[in-house]
Parts: sequence; C-alpha cells; structure tokens
Amino acid sequence: MSAIPSPSFWKRVFLSEYLVLYLSVLYFLAAWPLVPGLASGANLRDIFSNMLPLLVVAIGETFVLIAAGIDLSVTSIIALCSVVGASLMTADNRVLGGSVFAVPVGILAMLIVGLLIGAFNGATIAWFNMPPFIVTLATMMFFSGFAIWFTQSNKISNLPSGFTMLGEGALWFVPYALIITVVLALLAHLVLSRTLFGRRVYAIGHNVKAAAISGVPVKRTTLFAYLVSAFCAAVASILYTARLETGDPVLGQKILLDIIGATVIGGTSLFGGKGKVIWTVFGVLFITLIDNSLNMRGLSHFVIMIVKGAVILGAALLDATRNRWLAGT
Amino acid sequence: MTKGLSNMGDTKQEMKNRTLTRRTWLQTTAGGTLALGGWLTSCRSKKQGMTIGVAFETLQTEYWVASIETIRAELKKRGIRMQEAIADGDANRQFEQIKNFIARQVDGIIIAPKDKQTVIPMIKAANRANIPIVLYNRPPAESDAKSVTVVADNYAITKATVEYMAQEAKKSGKKCKAMILIGDLGDVNAIGRRDGFEDVAKSCSDIIEAVSRIPTEWNQEKALAGVTNGLQANPDLNFIFTSSDFMFPSIISALKTAGKYKKIGEEGHVLLGGFDGDATAYQMLVDRYLDADGVQDMYFESSASVQAVLDLKAGKEVPAIIPDKGFVIHQGNLKEAATRMWGANIKKQGTA
Repeated sequence: MSAIPSPSFWKRVFLSEYLVLYLSVLYFLAAWPLVPGLASGANLRDIFSNMLPLLVVAIGETFVLIAAGIDLSVTSIIALCSVVGASLMTADNRVLGGSVFAVPVGILAMLIVGLLIGAFNGATIAWFNMPPFIVTLATMMFFSGFAIWFTQSNKISNLPSGFTMLGEGALWFVPYALIITVVLALLAHLVLSRTLFGRRVYAIGHNVKAAAISGVPVKRTTLFAYLVSAFCAAVASILYTARLETGDPVLGQKILLDIIGATVIGGTSLFGGKGKVIWTVFGVLFITLIDNSLNMRGLSHFVIMIVKGAVILGAALLDATRNRWLAGT
Repeated sequence: MTKGLSNMGDTKQEMKNRTLTRRTWLQTTAGGTLALGGWLTSCRSKKQGMTIGVAFETLQTEYWVASIETIRAELKKRGIRMQEAIADGDANRQFEQIKNFIARQVDGIIIAPKDKQTVIPMIKAANRANIPIVLYNRPPAESDAKSVTVVADNYAITKATVEYMAQEAKKSGKKCKAMILIGDLGDVNAIGRRDGFEDVAKSCSDIIEAVSRIPTEWNQEKALAGVTNGLQANPDLNFIFTSSDFMFPSIISALKTAGKYKKIGEEGHVLLGGFDGDATAYQMLVDRYLDADGVQDMYFESSASVQAVLDLKAGKEVPAIIPDKGFVIHQGNLKEAATRMWGANIKKQGTA
C-alpha cells in the first residue's frame, strides 16, 4: 500500500459531502500550533457552546434555502422574540415578574411571536407570489424597528434564573443549550429526510412547476418552510437571550451573514433543492472555528475581518468548483 | 411519486462518495493527528510573561480607536502582551470573545462593553475563572458581579462644558434657543451627559431654553436628519450641544445647509459644544467654530485601567469606580489644555 494517497483519493475527498468537515479538521490541525489554547478543553467547550444558537437558526435557514427561498428576517425575529419574552419574564414586570408562570409564558410568547412572523412571511411569499428576498427584507426592517420602538432602545434585564440557565446552565454535565440544539437538529434531520413534507421541500426547491404538476401542495409547503425557519429563530433567540441574561432589541442584528454563510458553506444551495442538516452543522462548525481561532490568535479586528472574509470566499469558491465538477461527472 | 421524491436529496454518485469518504475521513483525521502530534508537543511553548485581553465593543469612532491604541502602548511600555478582540457591536460575540480570553487563561481583561446589562454575564464568567476584569469607559448595571470601572464623570464634565457655553451666551445678552443631541439612552454615559445638559438648562433658564432634543442612538445619519429637522422647526436656534464629538460632521453639514455655520464673533454664530475631545473638535476649536468641548482624559483612563488590572491581579484593593474627572477645553485655555486633549495629539501626529 502506497504511503502517498492516489489522485483518486483526493478526488474522492474533494467531491465528498463531508468536505467542509475535512476542511474544519485540517484547519484545526493547522491552527493548533499557531493558536495557543485552541485545543484546550475549555476552548473546545466554548467552540461547541458558541456553535449552538447559530446552528439552531441556521437549521431553519436550511429549510427555506432548500425550498429555493431565503429568510432575511431571522435576525429581526431573534430581536423581537428576545424583547417580548424578556418583557414578560423580567422581575420588573408587575404582572408576571417573580411568578412561576413567568418562564413558561415568556418562552411560549417568544415561540408564538416567531411563528406569527414566519406565517406572515410564508403566506405572503406563497399566496402573493412575492420574491422571498423582498418580503423577508421588508419584515426584517419592520420587526427590527418594531423591537427598538417596543423597548425604546432599552435593554431588559432581571430575567429569572429558571430562564437564564438555558443559556449557560447544564443538566448534570450536559448543557441545556446542547440538549435543545441536538433535539432540534435530529428532528429537523428526520423531517427533511424521512417525511413527506421533507421530500416536498426538496421537490419545490428543485423545480416548483414540476412539483406542482406532481401534486405537491406548493403553497402549504412554502408556508411550513418559513414557519420552521421562524420557529428555529425563536428558539435561537431563547438561547441568545438566556446566555446574555438580557432582552436586547438589537440582538442578532450582526449575524445574518454568519447564518446564511454557514448554511451555504455547508453545501446547501442558494438555488434550492439541495441541502442537509448535517451539512449545516459542518458549515456552522467551520465558521465558528475560524472566528474562535482568529480571536484566540489575538489578531487585530481588521485582520480578522479580512482573513474571515477570504476564508469564507475561498470555501464558497471551492464548493462552487466542486459542484461544477460533480455536475460534469 | 413519493419514491421518486425520496431520491432527490441523494444521487447515486453522492451515495457512493459518502460510503467511500467515511473511510477517507477516518484516514485523514487519524493520519493528520499522528503526524502533527509530536510536532505540536514540541511547538507548544510554556506561557511566558503576562497577557491582558482587551475587548472593545466597536472601533466605530476615533475615540475607541485612540483608546485601544493608547492601551496597547501602555501595555507595551510595561512589557505586557495584549490580546485584542472587537465585537463589532454584537453583545453575543463579545461574550464569546471573553470566553476565549478565559480559555486562553489571560492574566486580566479590560473590556469596553456593548452596554451595561449584557456585560454582566461576561463579568460573572471572569469572576468564576478568577480573572480580574476592568470595564473601560462604561460602568455595568447593578449586580453581584465583581469588577472595576474606569469611567469619565460624564455628568460633571458635561455640566462644566454647558456652563461655560451659558456664560458665553450671557455675554451676548440674548436668550438662547438650545438643542441637544442625545446618545443611546441604553448607555449610562449618554444619560449622564443628557442630565448634565438638562440641569444647566434648568438652572440657567434665563439664558437657555432647550427647545430641541434629538435622539441619535449614536448614529450619524439620525443626527443629521434630527439637526436638519430641528433647524427647520426652530430657525432661531443658536445653541447646540452634542453628546459626542463624532456627530460634529452631521451638525456642520446641517448648519451649512441652513447657512448658519459661522465662526465665533461672526454674525449668526451658533454656540457649539461637544463631548469627547476628538481631532475634529480640536480643529473646530482652532478654526474658532467650536466654543467648548468636554474632554475625556483618555491617557488617564487607559493607564488607570491597566494599573487596576495589575493591582487586582496582585490582590490589592481597588475601588469599584475610578473616575476620570476630565476637563473642559475652550477658546480661553486652548493652548495649555490642548496638550492633554487626545484629539489634539492625534491631529498633531497627522493620524486624523
């Protein structure tokens, strides 16, 4: 057996659906000697804990991207859910503050707000045939502004410990955030790969006209894809709000590129019909790892932005080349 | 149809790739790890000297850029390494950066937080790791988390600045119609500056009448729109105080459009005052457009932050708040006060 891998070995690696995972592993190994503390237990725990809320919201984005849509409103859903939930749960709330119902009511309200926005997005796109980009851009602007108006720019603190423990607390040694994320990811994977709804999402993403002729309820499927996306954004809002112990009207405002970037880098197509939850996991891992290692290296902000942009662009180019190659095989 | 759809996510080629590459993945990972293992062991050097993590919420304005550079210089002077992290306005990212510092086992943390509330879990994380943490320029909300804050006395500096402006207004013998540009009210510094202005406006009500309050949320565009609208609603407005110097370009633009950007002593001059002490404000003072500016003593704040981290690390007692008294620079003391004004030094060095 030769010690040097054959060209076909590298071709298989290059064409593999695990390419982003390989890149993550290689990047980690390459960065290990250069970044002190990168492989320490505490930092590995941080990398995985930092991944969780981003992964949750990216899973939702995966659904709409597979359905040939896009959801730009996820960041405003995160912000609005954060302030609505926090305003109900805070100890400063005269009605629910300090009550045992504060946490369940707050969480329920966050999920309902998310689902309502998702329903609006999905219904508008499906029944009015409006471009998803425009609809979700408009809802992003509207609900971001609404969140700031709702709180008059103020942050909401004094959240109950029963809620904040969801961010950084653990059940024995397993963080609550990890449990929530794993359950959600498994459910999303099963829905996409094992249910009729999942197959319909792929179908409308591949070719919406063919799917409609084949009897796929396009409008209903589109609506549900946006509901899933909004629900995931609401769950991510719960995790972000809990870990920061604050309801923040600008929460998540800066992470839209990370969400869509991680999903697309994972391999989910911006043109629809292609994507998997596990690919999104790899994409989120890759982007979190880059962020973490560059910060740990102590590079200046400007260098980090340049390197991160270059790495993401490189990964996207690699993916595009790979897809072209795959299409030719 | 269902069967047909079930194959849509996985082509045969993809299935083949997946089967093959599971083995590939194991080979790559195991091979890479083994090959690098020995090298890594030899590469990892023991931790030497001190490292301080410096986390800033933003580098959006001159003040923050100059601050981080001053802290860098201060740490370098003391032979301490600096690890830098900028959150780009994202509180969650800042939290992750603080956790990175902790994982890296830095000796201390200096943080310019996004706001007073979201910094609390960050302070708690540092407390749990037993790493001293000093807040630069923004104090935290009340909590049981332990930290030290080095912060300008925003209220007192603003009060002194607006009092100087009121004295100048009094000399003209006319009652002034005043505008204030307010910062983000989630920022305790913005509240201190607003209160300083309001208290002088109240105590000098025979000289100043506050007719316009512009909420800017520290945003240039909102400042420009607000000042433009305020000048249209109050054409006789002749007194403007901005809670931060970085909004001067917006004010100048709106005043020029209204034909009211005049030098001190010229007919129609609008009394101008600001807060921070940046290079633009210095140039406006030199050019005699600006009457007074409240200056944060950045050199003191940077050096006090570094000293506080070192003192905490050494187990010394440090007060929870270290105030920067700052000073007011105006046409009367421009020459001597400019040496302590950070913006003036930046201007003289030609970096602004």
